[in-house]
Amino acid sequence: MTQIFVNSIIYGSQIAIIAIGISLTYSVLRFANFAHIQYAVIGGYATYVFHTAFSVPIVLATAMSMVFTGAFAVLIDRIVFRTIRHVTPEGKMIASWGVALFLRSILAAIFGGSALFFELDTTTIRVGGAIFTTLDVAVVLVTLCAMLAMHVLLRYSRVGVALRALANNFELAEVRGIPSERMILLLWFLSGAYAGLGGTLFAIETQLKPNIDLLILLPVFAAITIGGLGNVYGAVVGAMILSFAQNILISIDFGSLVGAMQWYVPSQFRDAVAVTALVLVLLFRPQGLLKGLGGAKP
Amino acid sequence: MIDFAIYMTTIVCIWAVLAISLNIQFGLTGLVNFGQILPFAIGAYSAGIASFHGLPIWVGVLAGLIMGPLIGFLVIFPTRRMAQDYWALASLGIAEMFRLTMLNFRGIAGGVEGTIVERLSDPRVAMAVSVLALVVSFIVAERISKAPLGRLLRVIREDETLAATLGRNPFRFQVVAMAVAWAMASAVGVLYAHITGFVDHGSFMVIETFIIWTAVIVGGPGRNLGVVVGAIIIQAMSVSTRFVAQWTDLPSDVVANLRLALVGLLLVVMIMYRPEGFLREKKPNYDVKS
Repeated sequence: MTQIFVNSIIYGSQIAIIAIGISLTYSVLRFANFAHIQYAVIGGYATYVFHTAFSVPIVLATAMSMVFTGAFAVLIDRIVFRTIRHVTPEGKMIASWGVALFLRSILAAIFGGSALFFELDTTTIRVGGAIFTTLDVAVVLVTLCAMLAMHVLLRYSRVGVALRALANNFELAEVRGIPSERMILLLWFLSGAYAGLGGTLFAIETQLKPNIDLLILLPVFAAITIGGLGNVYGAVVGAMILSFAQNILISIDFGSLVGAMQWYVPSQFRDAVAVTALVLVLLFRPQGLLKGLGGAKP
Repeated sequence: MIDFAIYMTTIVCIWAVLAISLNIQFGLTGLVNFGQILPFAIGAYSAGIASFHGLPIWVGVLAGLIMGPLIGFLVIFPTRRMAQDYWALASLGIAEMFRLTMLNFRGIAGGVEGTIVERLSDPRVAMAVSVLALVVSFIVAERISKAPLGRLLRVIREDETLAATLGRNPFRFQVVAMAVAWAMASAVGVLYAHITGFVDHGSFMVIETFIIWTAVIVGGPGRNLGVVVGAIIIQAMSVSTRFVAQWTDLPSDVVANLRLALVGLLLVVMIMYRPEGFLREKKPNYDVKS
């Protein structure tokens, strides 16, 4: 039982960090950015390149990767999203898919389809009945720090107030003299940096492949939908709810139901849990579970 | 060479029908369906499941034609309560869930290995049937587009509230559009299964949906002829890159990836510079004064 709890926390952390970025951009720019998933994968590859090719220590490599993906997200905004600010949300969403398709294919062309691994020394820890590694502890701690940093930034800094004002009422905030274009640059940088961090954590925990985007896509979008699109805190809560639901479901023995000795939901089927959660939430609470719980207006 | 032309025509026709189907949903009605590959997959898997369980071919064909619109209804149902961008997420998720189900449960249609379907032995017959499917879909789509129904669907696309104030229930008309569009797509899905003789999950990835989207955006949303041209452009592009692979010494997987990158680039560039597509939709103007 403790093992399920531990696994849920670890997986939820990886999803939450990536989900925060999408919610952040959605809160101000009002469209779901599918290219965000690719920023995460790019972040993973950037860390890998810094770490292995330039033998930078992993912590520094991750920090460099965050800056890199942040700058990359800004660059994509300058090239693509800035020119389509006036387009409908659907148009932006479709364009973001185009960006995603482009980036994913270029990544696959450069690095090939085979899996890369970070070879990090980890030690196994046993607490009670649960087994986890020092790496897992690091992942959860880093996620906690990143969330705390985002919270402090949004709540207590001038730029945080400006970002929340833009999320709340874009025109009014502009009229009151908030430099919206400069804030949007900051927004993209933050969002990209968090994607880079999340992608790195995801890749370190599992593996690095151009098509891990398919593993990230559904859980992340399910998480932000559960939490309410555009609500940064909701994204974290959504990720945790989802992760617990997934891990609990795949650990239940349904043998007696299907008349077999043992039958578990196949673990690849975790994504189906994500989709089911997404559809159920959309059906019964389209505004998300946490509408109005602080943060940006969804 | 002639074999290649026959194969190309078949493939282009199938993808053109998928593009017309998406055009009825998005171009005409304004439904942002990010799971357009789903009706296609339903059709193909109907044939696949029938074959996997040893049922006669007509069962698969009939199942495909019925299940497409039926599941379409289930998928459209939530739109009553949610905005378009949320529904787009839901449709994407549902399409993936179908694919994952087929991938993970071997008992349905072979799981990872997929299943063999009886193949149309003569490629010319396959081509003839695909051309027929395209012609029928095109005529149906044009008829809807020009009929009062099409006019109302455009009103719903531009302004759902306006449609409601005209005393029309937008949801009912969205259901009609969806049923017609999904019937087309699942019909060519059945056809596709019998042409390739093989059904597995790999043909129904998320990426395929966006290849169809690119065809629609490139051709011109709202214009049936446009999206057919779009489908031809996209398919011609992907075939010609195969020749590029032969001429240059690049490995084929790199070329395949660059091809997808080109599709993505095209999609972005079109939305940035020409969102109405190459063939612009002719919007009728009704002059009230005259």
